[in-house]
Amino acid sequence: MLSLINKYKKWLYTLVVLLTLYLLIVFLKIDLTILFSDLHYVGDLLKEMFPPNYAIIWENNVVINSIVQTICMAYLGTLIGGIIGFGFSTIASNNIFNNKFISVFTKWLLSFIRVIPSLIIVLIFVIAVGPGPFAGVLTIIISTIGTLGKLFTESIENLDPTSANSLKATGANKLQIFKFAIWPEFLPSFISNLLYCFDINMRTAVALGIFGGGGIGYKLYLSMRVLHYKDAIALITCIIVLLLIIENVSNNLRHQILGNK
Amino acid sequence: MIKKITRLFIISVTILATYFAMKVCGFQPTALQKGLHDSLFFIKQMFPPSWEDFKDLWNPALETIALAILGTFLGSILSFIIAIFAASNLSNKWVKQMVRSLISIERSIPELFILLILIAAYGLGALSAVIALMIGCIGMLGKLFADAIEETPSSVIESLQAGGANKIQIIYFGILPDVFPKLLSYSLFRLEINIRLSVMLGAIGAGGIGYELDYSFSMLQFHRALSCLIVVLLLVIIIEQISIYIRKKLSIQQL
Repeated sequence: MLSLINKYKKWLYTLVVLLTLYLLIVFLKIDLTILFSDLHYVGDLLKEMFPPNYAIIWENNVVINSIVQTICMAYLGTLIGGIIGFGFSTIASNNIFNNKFISVFTKWLLSFIRVIPSLIIVLIFVIAVGPGPFAGVLTIIISTIGTLGKLFTESIENLDPTSANSLKATGANKLQIFKFAIWPEFLPSFISNLLYCFDINMRTAVALGIFGGGGIGYKLYLSMRVLHYKDAIALITCIIVLLLIIENVSNNLRHQILGNK
Repeated sequence: MIKKITRLFIISVTILATYFAMKVCGFQPTALQKGLHDSLFFIKQMFPPSWEDFKDLWNPALETIALAILGTFLGSILSFIIAIFAASNLSNKWVKQMVRSLISIERSIPELFILLILIAAYGLGALSAVIALMIGCIGMLGKLFADAIEETPSSVIESLQAGGANKIQIIYFGILPDVFPKLLSYSLFRLEINIRLSVMLGAIGAGGIGYELDYSFSMLQFHRALSCLIVVLLLVIIIEQISIYIRKKLSIQQL
């Protein structure tokens, strides 16, 4: 009997999943026939996209400048967000600051920041300070505080307490303990987390362009809006190459830093 | 001595780069102070949320969830199929290298641009958004799934092979039962990301709560915008908590 139920359990699950899928498709009013009946539009689009207009990259400085702008946005956001996030994490980690209430509250605050989608933050900043890279940087700073604040807190709490304890035994004060015991041990993970976050922030910086964040993302959005698909594909290639380079450099540096330790 | 010089060099390069970046982005400390002040003032202006708009937002919120679930589910299936070709124990060396590099190329295309291209082909609507989310899954899930498949003990595959099973039978009877909990937990993790993405895609025009949010901001209806904002936050938090709960039950906490 039991084996019979188990046998049909699989089918039951499959049935439930399929039914849910069907209901979701009906609810979203998705017409799957479009996928095939409009296929010729995809063909037209591809014809319009190729060959990509790579000349746009060298034509004038606009594209190069916007790439530099995007990198600068991600860099500044990571650096400033990392410094502020580090400040938060020293308060949030329970082995530096021995106040349970403040530690729990700061952790809660950091996880609240992490929950807010960057779309909301950028929409608010674009209205408050106007569109442009400045709004983008502010958005990246906020989201970086959330991410790095958490990562830093974890790595501070996982530090080996023996060196801090032995310094404490010699009568060192809090600042001295931090400088001589915690900081040297924390530094490699600090830098590697910064690099990791820079990689993520590059992607965010590109995507924020659409909502008024400036940089290469905005240029791409503009060329899509005016239906210059050949330019758009060239810009997308640029973005892919840029992100791949940054990902590899960041990964290599991180392996080196963590390996040397 | 050399260490000191290197350190000095790194610090001065960092400072120079920061100065340059600040110049490029129009970022001055005074502007920062003013910007934060203006933003806080603006957030204060948004209060209170308009309570009567909440009942209009019920349907868009459901749409956003439906988009995310559909996109994640179909995307996971697609990623699994691709992962089979990217796993070293199921596919040959050249195919594996090629598929892996395609996966990492996909990872560097923001989902928003996939959507923009799809909109050009299929028009605005849920279909484009679902496909964009599906494709967006490949970059992350394809790699994670392939790694999970590679961790399957080779004895499982070999014993099935010895019994004369073909590739599909090996995958269905050998690999799938072994990696299923992992696949499920990775997909749930992706769902957390996709719910944010689905809000963002909505703002471009795919509908749902993201569209309402962007629309209220651009129509300067800030009280309504705050209502949308609260709904978005609730959505993200609820989905995240559910996902964390189920993943804990599956007892795979890494990632």
